[in-house]
Amino acid sequence: MYEVRPSNRQTGSGINADEPTARRSSREGRVRDLSRSQYVASNYQVNETPQFQVLSDDQCETILNGALEVLERTGAEVQSSAALEIFREAGCWVEGARVRFPSHLVEKAIRSAPSRITISDRSGKRAMFLEGNNVYYGPGSSNIYTLDPFTGERRQPTKSDTVRAAIAVDALPSISFAMDNGTVTDVTATLSDVHAFQALVENTTKPIIQSGLGVDQFQDVVDMAAAVRGGMEALQQNPFIIFYSESSPPLKHSAEGLDKAIFAAKARIPVIYAPCIFAGGVAPATMAGCLVVAVADFLVGLVAGQQVSEGAPFIMGGLMSTMEMSSSILSYGAPELSLLSAGLTCVARHMGLPMFSTAGGTDSKVIDTQMAIEAAFSILIAGLSGANIVHGCGNMEYGATGSLELMTMDDEVIGMVKKILKGVTVDDEHLAVDVMDAVGPGGHFMGEVHTMNHFREFWAPKLISRLRYDPWVAEGAKSMAQRVKEKTQDILSNHQPERLADGVLGEIQAVVDRAEAREAGKSGT
Amino acid sequence: MSYNFDELAESVIAGDSELSAALTQQALDAGANPVAAITDGLSKGMGVVGARFKSGEMFVPEVLMSARAMTAGMDLAKPLILAADMPSSGKVILGTVKGDLHDIGKNLVSMMLESAGFTVINLGIDIEPETFVKAVSESDADVVGLSAMLTTTMLAMKATIDSLAAAGLRNKIKVIVGGAPVSQDFADEIGADGFAPDAGGAIDLCKALVA
Amino acid sequence: MPVTSNYTANASPLFSVLTSTQCDDILLAAQEVLERTGVTVMDEEARDIMAKAGCWVDGIRVRIPSAVVRRALQSVPNRVTLCNSRTGSRDVLLEGHNAYFGTGSDTPFTIDPYTGQRKRSTTESVGNACKVIDALPNLDFVMSLGIVQDVPALVSDRHQFEAQILNTSKPIVTTAHDIYGFADIIKMCEIVAGGVEELRRHPFMTLYAEPISPLQHAWEAASKLVLAAKKGLPVVYTPCIMSGGTGPATPAGILTQALAESLSGLVINQTTREGSPFIMGGVLTIMDMSSTVFSYGSPELDLQMSAYADVAHYLKLPMFGTAGCSDSCLADEQAGIEAALSIAMTCLSGPNLNHDVGYIEYGSTSSLEYLTINNDVIGMGRRLVRGIAVNDETLALDVIDAVGPGKDFLSEPSTLKYFKTETYSSDLLDRQRYEAWQAAGSKTLFERANAKVKDILENYEVDPLSSDVRSAVRAVVESADEAVR
Repeated sequence: MYEVRPSNRQTGSGINADEPTARRSSREGRVRDLSRSQYVASNYQVNETPQFQVLSDDQCETILNGALEVLERTGAEVQSSAALEIFREAGCWVEGARVRFPSHLVEKAIRSAPSRITISDRSGKRAMFLEGNNVYYGPGSSNIYTLDPFTGERRQPTKSDTVRAAIAVDALPSISFAMDNGTVTDVTATLSDVHAFQALVENTTKPIIQSGLGVDQFQDVVDMAAAVRGGMEALQQNPFIIFYSESSPPLKHSAEGLDKAIFAAKARIPVIYAPCIFAGGVAPATMAGCLVVAVADFLVGLVAGQQVSEGAPFIMGGLMSTMEMSSSILSYGAPELSLLSAGLTCVARHMGLPMFSTAGGTDSKVIDTQMAIEAAFSILIAGLSGANIVHGCGNMEYGATGSLELMTMDDEVIGMVKKILKGVTVDDEHLAVDVMDAVGPGGHFMGEVHTMNHFREFWAPKLISRLRYDPWVAEGAKSMAQRVKEKTQDILSNHQPERLADGVLGEIQAVVDRAEAREAGKSGT
Repeated sequence: MSYNFDELAESVIAGDSELSAALTQQALDAGANPVAAITDGLSKGMGVVGARFKSGEMFVPEVLMSARAMTAGMDLAKPLILAADMPSSGKVILGTVKGDLHDIGKNLVSMMLESAGFTVINLGIDIEPETFVKAVSESDADVVGLSAMLTTTMLAMKATIDSLAAAGLRNKIKVIVGGAPVSQDFADEIGADGFAPDAGGAIDLCKALVA
Repeated sequence: MPVTSNYTANASPLFSVLTSTQCDDILLAAQEVLERTGVTVMDEEARDIMAKAGCWVDGIRVRIPSAVVRRALQSVPNRVTLCNSRTGSRDVLLEGHNAYFGTGSDTPFTIDPYTGQRKRSTTESVGNACKVIDALPNLDFVMSLGIVQDVPALVSDRHQFEAQILNTSKPIVTTAHDIYGFADIIKMCEIVAGGVEELRRHPFMTLYAEPISPLQHAWEAASKLVLAAKKGLPVVYTPCIMSGGTGPATPAGILTQALAESLSGLVINQTTREGSPFIMGGVLTIMDMSSTVFSYGSPELDLQMSAYADVAHYLKLPMFGTAGCSDSCLADEQAGIEAALSIAMTCLSGPNLNHDVGYIEYGSTSSLEYLTINNDVIGMGRRLVRGIAVNDETLALDVIDAVGPGKDFLSEPSTLKYFKTETYSSDLLDRQRYEAWQAAGSKTLFERANAKVKDILENYEVDPLSSDVRSAVRAVVESADEAVR
């Protein structure tokens, strides 16, 4: 169901004769029967997908070495006392809150972290294979506004919006995982993530990437997820959740941020520990400098995690872009976002770790051509780069607003990009020299058996229109935005996700209630 | 006795020429009415295909496969039917006008019209106005369709219509035009009876003009 | 940087669809098609030339032995340079992976930027289009963005060229109805260049011709290839093939047929005169099997054009590509998606002369707003291809150390130095905060682009031709008009 789309694959294949031969061309007698082809050719190395590489291996190594140098020379500021202790124990050089990392410790952590992480769906079926150049797309999170697909209003997200987000994720075939698509505002403020998770897990079977305010909230999420899977061990063996925690670049790690990463590592739940970086702001204005800071920040979390739980699943990456100097926004639409993300993906590949990247978003404040351009551009580059998790499909207004309409549009674009990632097969069946000979100069291919056998491989548009002008006018002269809106509304009105059993729903609610009580106790109300 | 042609219609929908020929032969051997074999079997199946194509469930190559299956059956039934009794939606002459060699659009229209039950005389490419005139005068066609791909060759459409008028044939036949640079305005300008933007539209237009 | 050895860097991102073995396979298959099936050539002179060069001619069917193809590939130049028509500066170097962008030519319709109406293109609309292209920095060459339809149709090509040459100094890829049209256009070019030899040495134009797929060279096309060679002027020969319709339903099949058509055109051109400049290329897409449209926005077009670019690089031939165009009847979100994908892929795969920017409605209509928007998309693509520089200065380890954990880089001298060069900035793509965007009128990209188009049309001045040259060019057009009166 969640298709694996490997990018950057090359294989060598020696034999051309085992292509399944379907029916012959209609012109009997003139066509050579390919299945009787006697030849075998060696030395045929093919691209099974397009090949895209921003940085060479040597350049990746230079970036990694730069990060290791920064960690050894400059170090990081660590605000978590638990983490300070862990680093001290590991053999790092700790002075107050400043930690310097001997490179060999960091390299050891990189080696012990797994290079492949398999994420299941809610039922435990293995769904996302985070390894190699496999690419999976999904929405973003923590936006402070949502664009209502029914009213067009830009307003603060509520829990029902998260329900909607889950339904949309569940329905869209090229969206592989869920994120909250907006910080929930009509619940207890410190439990917005917990409520978001409840809304997501009850309304989609797809994997969920979840952030949380702190360790308590992460525990709440783990408890809910374990209830769904029928126990902690079952959850650890087939996790359908991935935790998300952020550092505070450059080189600063909050107590909550690091403690969450450590928590996830101990719980053996996959975690993304990533910085949010804008060039010229929290990192140097040069791209290479950004990559160094991004890698260095991640490694701090990795070292802590591997020290407490060797082999714990960690995912690197981040949201990286340039800062627009006049408005000071972190640009979601700039080509630099794609370039930086693709560069970091190369480094992650070099390090042998799964990568969390960003695409499908825009700086546009309205559904328009700029939104479409920026989303499509980034989705293409992320796909070509082979990043394993690509989040952000639906982020508009430089991430401040989430839009399910944009996510629906992105779903269509991802289909187009998947087609491109399929590459070009070159063998006798596809070269079709016999077919061209049978058709001849001036003929046509519409009725050829070869055409019948292959035309379904064309990408099938659902929202993209190929109508001629008059029929398009006759159908209402709609723009794509209108078609996207209609489809989004249709999904939200009609799609029925698989329901969890009542017992499980009850257990989930119990966790939420317990969390509410705890938070109420904290604030003294 | 009324023969059940459902399987025959299905074989057309499935685009299976061998099966449709076999089933047609079977029906004829069993004494079924050959005209009914066409109207209730072959054409009926093709009608379903046409509707599915319009709604986007079926695609051009499948339509052509089905058309081929229909023809396989028709070729067996036709010899048994008097010309006057032969079911036909109408007769259409098609050609790409003088100076123009592009014909895939016209050929698609031709195949789609045949699949909709029209008899089509496809003159080919680079057709002089005189050749159109000759074809019109020698057949009892209902419609003549002119195709052009270039703005320069579009002019030959007007020349062709004028030639038909000069030969006193303009009132005997409907003239429709099509092709990338053609539009309704242009069709009106040159005095054509209709314009269709694509093959599907051409079928509807011909049906309307023949009615 | 410390002394180091054995270091390989990507000075720009690496991108390919096909390996060189796959490219070779396509070449071999195309050669087989030309030897076995051949092509039809409807020009007697071309057939005679081909026969003398060793081709097997049977009536109008010409089969081309592989050795003849190889000889043509050896004699054809691996690079073509196009110049500015006013200054002669060598601006467009069609070689290697250099990707240049321009518009398309013969759309029957255009969108009026003042009324929003879709109307037939005219001399005026073509002139306006050229002005806009001339003003946009990321557009490198011109095609007319409209068929001139308010003049006598048989000589509209002369008018169309005149409208272009008056309104732009960028290189022009020019269509013509036939060799007589080309002859007049070449005359006009020689006037502008200042002579026959001057035009040949500093061409500011290329001729344009197309085969009729599959595998046919009509009289107009073949004779244009012969004329171009005789004149030693560059010619673009463009198979336009739709998979499943006029070519096989597989990408490899399309590439093979395109190459067979390109190479047979090359043979016509090179056997007429070896060393004549030739640009291969095409529009390789699918036939939409529901609407039957020749699709300008399909992902197959992007993939097939990029694969064909790999083949062109393998053959070391300049290539004519296709990007920045859409099937949408509006310059809307669909058009944005299709432009982003095609322009990004084109920048990465590097075909040289990439046309059709600004085409909507599957190539039937031109939109100046879309053209203007795509100027920025090209900018984005070019930023992508500039890649990431990795060196001591860009790694900035000293700066990171100096700033320290938890601080910011905003006031660092290096930030001031780099932020302008590291980022692509655009006046059309909005990166304002919500409130500021609202205060500025809550405009969409289309609205901003429309305003920019009007601004260009009203205020931009093209580098003019001298009045002598203008009159001489006009005289050629008028004598063509006279001939058909």
